[in-house]
Amino acid sequence: MDIFAGLFNGFAIALSGTNILFCFLGALIGTAIGVLPGLGPAATIALLLPLTYVIDSPVTAIIMMAGIYYGAMYGGSTTSILLNLPGEAASVVTCIDGYQMAKKGRAGAALGIAAIGSFIAGTVAVVGLTFFAPPLAEFALDFGPPEYFALTTLGLLLAVTLSGGSITKGLIILIVGLLLAMVGLDPISGKIRFTFGSTGLQGGFDFVTLAMGVFGLGEILYNLESMMKTEIVTTKLGKLFPTLKDWTDSKWAIFRGSVIGFFIGIIPGGGSVISSLASYAVEKKYSKHPEEFGEGALQGVAGPESANNAASSSSFIPLLTLGIPGNAAIAMIFAALMIQGITPGPFLVAEHPDVFWGVIASMYLGNAMLLVLNLPLVGLWVQMLRVPYGILAPVIVLFTVIGVYSVQNQIFDIYSMLFFAALGYGMRKLKFDPAPLPLAFVLGPMVERSLRQSLLISGGDLTIFVTRPISGTLIVIFVLLVLGQLFFYLKRMMKR
Amino acid sequence: MKKSERIAAIITSLGGVWIMVYGWHTLKLGTIYIPDAGLLPFLCGAGLSVLGIVWLLILRSVKEREHEREEKRRLWHRPLLALVLMALYGWAMESVGYITSTLVFVIAWQKVIEREKWLKTMIIAALGTFAMYALFVYLLKVPIPPEFFIR
Repeated sequence: MDIFAGLFNGFAIALSGTNILFCFLGALIGTAIGVLPGLGPAATIALLLPLTYVIDSPVTAIIMMAGIYYGAMYGGSTTSILLNLPGEAASVVTCIDGYQMAKKGRAGAALGIAAIGSFIAGTVAVVGLTFFAPPLAEFALDFGPPEYFALTTLGLLLAVTLSGGSITKGLIILIVGLLLAMVGLDPISGKIRFTFGSTGLQGGFDFVTLAMGVFGLGEILYNLESMMKTEIVTTKLGKLFPTLKDWTDSKWAIFRGSVIGFFIGIIPGGGSVISSLASYAVEKKYSKHPEEFGEGALQGVAGPESANNAASSSSFIPLLTLGIPGNAAIAMIFAALMIQGITPGPFLVAEHPDVFWGVIASMYLGNAMLLVLNLPLVGLWVQMLRVPYGILAPVIVLFTVIGVYSVQNQIFDIYSMLFFAALGYGMRKLKFDPAPLPLAFVLGPMVERSLRQSLLISGGDLTIFVTRPISGTLIVIFVLLVLGQLFFYLKRMMKR
Repeated sequence: MKKSERIAAIITSLGGVWIMVYGWHTLKLGTIYIPDAGLLPFLCGAGLSVLGIVWLLILRSVKEREHEREEKRRLWHRPLLALVLMALYGWAMESVGYITSTLVFVIAWQKVIEREKWLKTMIIAALGTFAMYALFVYLLKVPIPPEFFIR
């Protein structure tokens, strides 16, 4: 099936009544949680994972989950601009100039250019996804266990090094994630590991339980430490549609943001946060008036907002083509696919073209829906910010508890989730970034299986990882990355 | 924070050693030709124990930061209370049924954690319970633990 035929079929699927409805629901929920500070897209997708059990069609479920993810990127700008509080992590940079614009009475222009930039970048990235994903999937068909081992370990390492936090802590969380994935039956030897006599643990931990605990409840518990109060500084939005001058000033920022976001989004661990930071740095560097940055520069909003939307769309490329989730939210979508009995990877496009093309086509529609949701309805989102956290928190707790119970109808799962909630809370207290945990949990079985299969194939010869061209290249990148990190660490230590 | 981080680093390191022993002794490493179930746990344990030590060394070289004083002012008892309430909720759900336990849980949450007034508490509890029941039981057909008085 060629790309255009595939896309045509994808639109036929995405344009069905049910899929349009769920795409809209995803975009709506995504915008809402993007607007609300304290609950990110990964947490929300985690909270909604149990719903995928009751949605019969995998395409519909994934269309909704994808809508939540890129919808959150749109919504995040609203809180950043009006409250100086990022609704989700990728909108941190938008606070800098967006809030300054709002203080100067240009909130409408900032919100408008953020929404339009997001729409353009999101669409550009989906076009890139349309044409880039199928050949990559075809290329990945040649991958064997050594290539998968090299790719997954490199992906995990990149997720840690690019997260921006402490690499030591990131690696610890990565290993904890791998160990949690090992609980239960060993897939090759059939031995029982880390169950300590508990029959409930023999099947291993459920991803939904882990995700809802660490991301959903863990975040709620951490937020409970502070009395969250929202105070909207400006409600005077002004004109939402940018003027011709605004558009002239920001068009190249949107273009550069789209390109930067697209490429950073493909890298495992890259994601929306880094892309928005990179875009801000680039805009400041190339601006004729860098002194305006931090004082309300329109390019400081247009670039990063475009970049984070492009990255959220392009991060589907490694998931749909290689079966490798690049960030926590995409790991949740990976889990949603697995719940539906679909293994993401190079065979997805051939075995489930409806899912592959249906999801891609829905992203074109979702981006258009988000433009409508974000521009005319911005006043509604501002009003939603007035809902006290004291009401939201118990409602989310109720949702998670019954949600996790509904997966297997077992109270044991609720206790498992509470264990993960405590773990997630502890991680936040100790300044750990929880993002590598679900990635390691999802990729753990693949890492172990591919390592052991490679050793079995080669008869214990470790050179199998370096003698094959693709795995060899990936291992070289891995080694260079490790050496680079060590070099910079030692250089920093020498300076002290 | 630095003290709790030090304790966490030591636990990480010791935990790593324990996992190594568990992987090597209980699960068995196998050979390089036919690796057994203990190989990856052993490697992960080794990684954890080394990283725990590295974490400790980093902590020694970092000075106490100013924002740590702010940390102490945070309301740490609220998450603890929330965890206890949720654990009791899980137990009560099985013992007394979903609707009763949910109502009591939301009331307890609003009074103990949020310290809300009774009227607001009752409204949130009733609406929250009804909304979840409608969504999961009516709409999604999820079987929930029945009430104790109709068992």
